Amino acid sequence: MKLRTLRRGTQSLGILLGVFGVTGIGMTHLLFPGLHCYACPLAITVCPVGLMQNLIIAGTVPFYFLGAIAAYGLLLGRGWCGWFCPFGTVNDLLAFRKVRFVRALSPLKLLVLAGTAVAAWRLADTWFCKLCPAASLTASLPYLGLGVAEVNAPFLIHMGTLAAVVVGMALVARFWCRYLCPMGGILSLFNRLSFFGLRLRGDRCTECGLCARSCPMGITPDREINSGDCLKCGECVPSCGSSALSIGFSLPGARGRDPLRTARAAPGPDRVPPRQ
Amino acid sequence: MKIALAFVLLVGLVATGQEVRLEPASSAELGDWAQSLVPLRLRSTPAQDVTFDGPALALSQWGEVVLGTSRYTLLLGVRADGQADLWVDANRDRRISADELLVGVRGPGYVEWSVDLRSTPSGGAPFPYPLTVVWPEGRGYVYLLGGAPRRGTLVADGQIVTFVLVDGDLDGVYGTKGDFYAVDVDGDGTLHGDPDGHERFALAEGFTVGEKSYRLSQIDPGGAQVRLAPTGYVPPKPPLLPGYPAPELRFLTFPAGQPLALSDLRGKVVLVDFWATWCGPCMSELPFLLDLYAAHSARGFEIVGVSLDTSERDLRAVLAGRDIRWPVAFEGKSWDNSLAQLYRVYQIPTSYLLDRSGIIRYRDLHGEDLVRGVEELLSAPRGEEPRLPSPPVVIAGPPRPILEVHAPAEVGLTPGGALVVRLVNTAPYEAEEVRVSLTGLPTEVSAPSVEIASIPAFGEREARLVLVGTDALGVGFAATVAVVYHYCVADACFEIRDTAPVVFTVGGAPPPAGAFPLWWLVVALGVGVILAALLRGRVLAVVVVLLVGLAGASLVVGVLRGQATQAWRIGSVLCTSCVGIEEARSEAPTLSPAEREAIARFSRSAHLLVFHTPWCRSCPYAKALVAEAARANPRITYELVDADEERSRAERAGIIQSGKVVVPAVLVVETGQVLFGTTNLASRLAAALGEIR
Repeated sequence: MKLRTLRRGTQSLGILLGVFGVTGIGMTHLLFPGLHCYACPLAITVCPVGLMQNLIIAGTVPFYFLGAIAAYGLLLGRGWCGWFCPFGTVNDLLAFRKVRFVRALSPLKLLVLAGTAVAAWRLADTWFCKLCPAASLTASLPYLGLGVAEVNAPFLIHMGTLAAVVVGMALVARFWCRYLCPMGGILSLFNRLSFFGLRLRGDRCTECGLCARSCPMGITPDREINSGDCLKCGECVPSCGSSALSIGFSLPGARGRDPLRTARAAPGPDRVPPRQ
Repeated sequence: MKIALAFVLLVGLVATGQEVRLEPASSAELGDWAQSLVPLRLRSTPAQDVTFDGPALALSQWGEVVLGTSRYTLLLGVRADGQADLWVDANRDRRISADELLVGVRGPGYVEWSVDLRSTPSGGAPFPYPLTVVWPEGRGYVYLLGGAPRRGTLVADGQIVTFVLVDGDLDGVYGTKGDFYAVDVDGDGTLHGDPDGHERFALAEGFTVGEKSYRLSQIDPGGAQVRLAPTGYVPPKPPLLPGYPAPELRFLTFPAGQPLALSDLRGKVVLVDFWATWCGPCMSELPFLLDLYAAHSARGFEIVGVSLDTSERDLRAVLAGRDIRWPVAFEGKSWDNSLAQLYRVYQIPTSYLLDRSGIIRYRDLHGEDLVRGVEELLSAPRGEEPRLPSPPVVIAGPPRPILEVHAPAEVGLTPGGALVVRLVNTAPYEAEEVRVSLTGLPTEVSAPSVEIASIPAFGEREARLVLVGTDALGVGFAATVAVVYHYCVADACFEIRDTAPVVFTVGGAPPPAGAFPLWWLVVALGVGVILAALLRGRVLAVVVVLLVGLAGASLVVGVLRGQATQAWRIGSVLCTSCVGIEEARSEAPTLSPAEREAIARFSRSAHLLVFHTPWCRSCPYAKALVAEAARANPRITYELVDADEERSRAERAGIIQSGKVVVPAVLVVETGQVLFGTTNLASRLAAALGEIR
C-alpha cells in the first residue's frame, strides 16, 4: 500500500474519531491526540489544550493532561499532526504552496502554548479556545446551525481567526501546524524521542534535495530529520531516489536505528557525508 | 498498517461498554412491580382468519396478542351454563383446537388463566413469554399481566448490583417504549421497582451507583443482554420510603402567592397531600382532613396540599367553599406538576406523613390510621422522634467530605513556624467559606484560623497557620487541624467538618520514620544499575524509558485525583462563553429602567430554572441576573440547577444540544422556553415572561 494512501486512511480515522458522537456515544474520558474542540457537537473526546486550561484555572497541576500528552508524544511525536489530526488534515487539503520554512517563526507555537497556560493561570479564562480556528470550524459554525450560537462579537472573532488561518494555509502549506498550533508545539518536544519516526541511511543519501522539495513543512529532511518541525508524514520517503529514507516504529536510541545517529554515520566510500 | 490497526483498536475501545447478560426471572421472586398490566380489547370477530374446533359457545370474544413478530389469537368463550373459557392459538396454525383450552382460576368477579407463549422479536433470539390473562367477568376486555422480567448482575463503581429489565408494554420486544429497568442502586438487596420507586428507571434514564452514572447504550430485543455506557452524573432518585427525608418542596402558595418551602415547616408534623378537585376519593376525604386540621393544627400539625388541578377556577371555588387554610401548591399542570414529578406521583390521592424533622414516617394513611399516625408523631417528644421502622439504608452521595485535608503528621517547632495545610477539592462542587484552624493547642500557644472564601471544583489551596507563643513553651504537643466548610448541590447545602491530627515537636521535624525504607533505596539503586548496564551508550533510550515512566505516573496521579472524570465532565457540558460562542460576562448584572419596569409589570407567576456548572464563566452572571429579576418582582421564583449534576433534569428541560448540556441556560417553566447564554439576557427574559399567558 502506498504510504500516502495509508496516511489518508489514518487521517480519515482521525476525522471519524472527531465525529464519532454521531453514533450516539456520549463524551468519554479520552484526550484527543490532536486539535479537536470538545465543544464540537459530535466530539466524544476532550481537547487536550482545553483541558489543560481548565485544570490550570481550577488551580491544579494538570497531571492527566501531561501524562496523556507525554504518552501520545512518545508514541508518535508530531506523527499525530501528520497522520491523524483532523485540523492537520484541513491544512493538508489546503497545502497548495510549499514555501521555505521560516525558522525564526517556528517557536511561535511554543509561545502560543505558554501564553495559553499563562492566560489560564493569571486571567482564569480559556482564551485560546476563544480564538482557536478548530473551535471556529467544529463548534461555532455547527452551533450557529443549531441555533445555540448567534452572530455576535465572539462569533465574528472566531470567524476572523478561521479566515486568517485558512488564508495562511493556502499561502503557506501547513501554516497552522508550522507556526501556531500549541498542540503541535508540545508534541514537537517529543519528536526525537518518539517510537515512530523517520530513518535516514547517511551512506545512501546523495543530498539531491528531492526530499526537501516534497516536504509540506518546508524543512530539509536529510538534515533535520525528526526535528521538532517534522510531521513524520512520510512524503519525503517515496521522493528519495536512493531509498535513504524510511519510516516506521523503532526504539529511539536503539543501535543502528536512531535516525540522528544513523544520519551522523560515517560516509560510505563513494558518498559525501550528510551535512548536519 | 500498524497505525491503522492501532486506531481501529482505539476507536473500538471507545465504542465498547459493559455488557450485562440477562436470564429469565419470575415476577413472583422479584415482586409485583416486575410485571405490567395492559388492557386488551376483545372483539366479536378474530383479527385474522381462524377456525375454532371447540364446543358451542353462547358468547365468543376474540383478541390478539402480538409478541415480536408472533401473533397469537385469543378466544374468550362463555358457554351456555355460564362457564368462561379461554383458548389461545399457541401454535399459531390459525386453528384453535380443543387441546388449546386453558384451565382457568376463578376469583371474586374475575377469571384468570396462565399461558406460556413465545416471543419472536426481530433482531433478537426467540424467548419464552409467560402471560396471565385476567377477565373481569362480563366485560369486553381482558387484562394481560406479564413483562417477562430478565435479571442479571452488573459491576458499577466497584459494586456488584442486580439489574432487571422488564418488557413493560408487553409487546415481546425489549427496548421499546414503555419498557423499564430496575437497578439495586443502594445495594440493599431489595429492588424498589414500584412505579414511584427510586430504583426503577425508564429506558432513557440513567442511574447512579456510588459516584458513577450509567445509561443503557444497547438493549438486545430478545433480552439476552444489555450494554451500559458511562454517562454524566445523574442525581440518584431520592427514596420515598419511611425513614428517609422527604424531598424539599418549594412553591408559591395558592392563591396568596407567598413563597413556602417544606423545610420552613420543620418542627411540625406535616402531611404532604397530592390531590385534585376532580379526584373523587380526594374530595370525599376532604371533610375528614378539615376536621383533623382543625383538631391538631394548634399542636403543630400542618398539611401541604399539592393540587394536580388544571382549572384554577375549580380550585379557587373548593378552597373558598371548604375554607381550606393550609398551604396549597398549584401549577395548573395536572400530572406534569413539578412537585408531583419530584415525588414521582403516579396516582392520587397520594400522601406522605412527615415527622417534625421532615422524615417520611408513613405513606398513604387514611381515616383512623391517619389520626393515629398524626397523634403518634405529635406526641413524640421534640428531638426524640419515634424509632424508625427499619434502619434507613445509607445511599452513596452527598453529604460527604469533598476536601482532602493534607497536613504533615509531625511539624518541627521553629521560631515563627507555620503549619501548611493543603486542601484538595475532589468533587465537582465549590467548597465555600472554608475555615482552617488548630484546636487542642496548649494555653500558651495560639494560631489564628485561616479563612478561604472558596475552593473551586477540583481545585486546591493551601492554608498557612502561623503559631504564636511556641518559643516560650519548649516542649512538643499534639493538636488537631479542624476544617469547616460547606458545599451545595443544587438547592441542598451541606456543612462538613473534618479533622486531621498533627504533632508539633521541638527543634525541627524529625526524619519521618519509615517514610522511605532503606530497602527501597537499595532496590531503586539496583534497578538503576541494571538499566544503566543494559542501556549503556543509549542516552535517548534512557531518556525515553524515564519519560514513559513519568508519563505513566502522571496519568495515574491525574486519574487518582479525578482529573479524568473532570475531563469527561468538562467535555459533556458546553459552556458557551468558554469556547467563545458568546462573551464571558463577569460583571454584576444590572437591569435597565425599561427592563426593570417590564419585569416588575409582570402580573402572573413564573418559575425559572437556571442551569449552570461550576466551571462556567458566564453562569454567575446568569444566576445573579435571574436573582435580580426575582427581587424586582416577587412573583418570579427561581431555582439553581447544576446541569452537570442533574443531567437528566437538563435533558427534560431541553437544554441538551447534540448530547451536550448547554450552560448558562434559563428555563421558563410555564412556557418551556429556554434562554441560552447571557447576551441581552435581561431583555430576552422580560420578553419571555411576557409570553406567559
